[in-house]
Amino acid sequence: MPEDENVLVGLKSPDDAGVYRINQELAIIQTVDFFTPVVDDPYFFGQIAVANALSDVYAMGGVPKTAMNIVCFPSEKMDISVLKEILKGGIDKLEQAGVVLIGGHSVDDPEIKYGLSVTGFVHPERIIAKKGVKEGDLLILTKPIGLGIINTCIKGGIASKELIDRAIGIMSMLNKDASEVMKEFHVSACTDITGFGLIGHMSEMIMQSGLSALINAKKVPVIKEAIEFASMGFVPAGTYKNIEFYRSMIEDRLRDDTLLSILFDPQTSGGLLVSLPSEEAEMFLIKLWEKGIQEARIIGQIIRTGEEKIIIEE
Amino acid sequence: MPLEINTKGLACPVPVLKTKEAVEKNNPKEIVILVDNEAAKQNVSRFLTSRGYSIITEEKEGEIRIIGILESEACMPSSFVKEEEGKKTKTLLLITDDKIGHGDDLLGTKLMQNFINTLKEMEGLWRIVFMNNGVKLTISNSPVLSTLKELEASGVQLFVCGTCLEHFGLLKDKQVGETTNMLDIVTSLQLADKVIHI
Repeated sequence: MPEDENVLVGLKSPDDAGVYRINQELAIIQTVDFFTPVVDDPYFFGQIAVANALSDVYAMGGVPKTAMNIVCFPSEKMDISVLKEILKGGIDKLEQAGVVLIGGHSVDDPEIKYGLSVTGFVHPERIIAKKGVKEGDLLILTKPIGLGIINTCIKGGIASKELIDRAIGIMSMLNKDASEVMKEFHVSACTDITGFGLIGHMSEMIMQSGLSALINAKKVPVIKEAIEFASMGFVPAGTYKNIEFYRSMIEDRLRDDTLLSILFDPQTSGGLLVSLPSEEAEMFLIKLWEKGIQEARIIGQIIRTGEEKIIIEE
Repeated sequence: MPLEINTKGLACPVPVLKTKEAVEKNNPKEIVILVDNEAAKQNVSRFLTSRGYSIITEEKEGEIRIIGILESEACMPSSFVKEEEGKKTKTLLLITDDKIGHGDDLLGTKLMQNFINTLKEMEGLWRIVFMNNGVKLTISNSPVLSTLKELEASGVQLFVCGTCLEHFGLLKDKQVGETTNMLDIVTSLQLADKVIHI
């Protein structure tokens, strides 16, 4: 592949999104994300898809500017009003984020899929990458986890209306405010939590750092119903794949495996996982709470053990 | 013949849903579930364990048989749970201001917010008593209202001084906790194993 010195983040160091330098003051962040419906309500599916697609830009400390729709829809089998609702949900969420929709593309497909390609701006020297954790950093997670389990229960028809609404609220919440607060601090590294689950994404963060993470499972914000449903076996297949894939990275000191399956639960439009110096962590947390990000918590610390691993304690 | 359910070829969460349906409908002493993948095996086993079944699994030629046998109710550890609860120390928290410490009020307000939000981590927290300026934490525009509601939902008792609410003209604005009197407050202080004054 041809080299280009303006590629600041690309396939050589895969991150949440790619970054390309335009000049010394400006770089663009590019990302694309789309998926099949996670909730029955098309309007909220649209909102969640947008929050999810923008999240990669927020995780890199950027400001999303423009977006293009990607749509797969079975136009012969399904009423077009469903698609209209999805797109309306999407546009409303984009408006809330201050992002302009400038185009899109659709294909006829047996299964609905929706998402966006997003372009954002960032100063080339203020990119917040996934790599870069430092010894002593505290780790903060901005949204509760357990969404994969709740989505499994929604599919299985055993989630209450109130729980579904709460899950929709979490998934459609933009990581915008958290990202803005992050820029006021000396954040070492950040990523957003999606399909690999909290510990999967954390593993990606500490790989090649020479450092370890110590996590207190009890401090991790969790949707409380997810714990009960997980112990009843409503665990998505992806969780078991995540545990298998990252098993060599973890030192599991938990008493039972329910909590482990929550820590590896695949999230849809999850929160940001932020690593920052310990002396700044408390003020960072207070600022997040002030912005209404009430469930943000300190969940662990970056430590030196001589290995790269994640120690999970209770 | 024990009840047998075949969930091969079905994706999660269908195997566990079918198991749940069968257990709830028939309440069988013994049940056999056939699955064909690891996720379904673990999920079905978990479900049966959560309903008091002990599990044996047999695997051959890509087919997994999960056999669940209902344990007798005498094994249920509910009596132990109660005993443990009784041993817990009862911590009472007395909050007499809406901020922490003196010096900078803005800092004090933020610290109080941080303190309340972190209270979930305090083991044995039994009751919180709000007096004087502290009652302002329980009214509609309080930044910690949702956390206090969560604490209350998790079993922590919140006592709000009625005289104080009345003094500030906030009786109608209180959104969480029980409006209480000095007798209850004094009794609470006496009953608690530990009192922390903020």
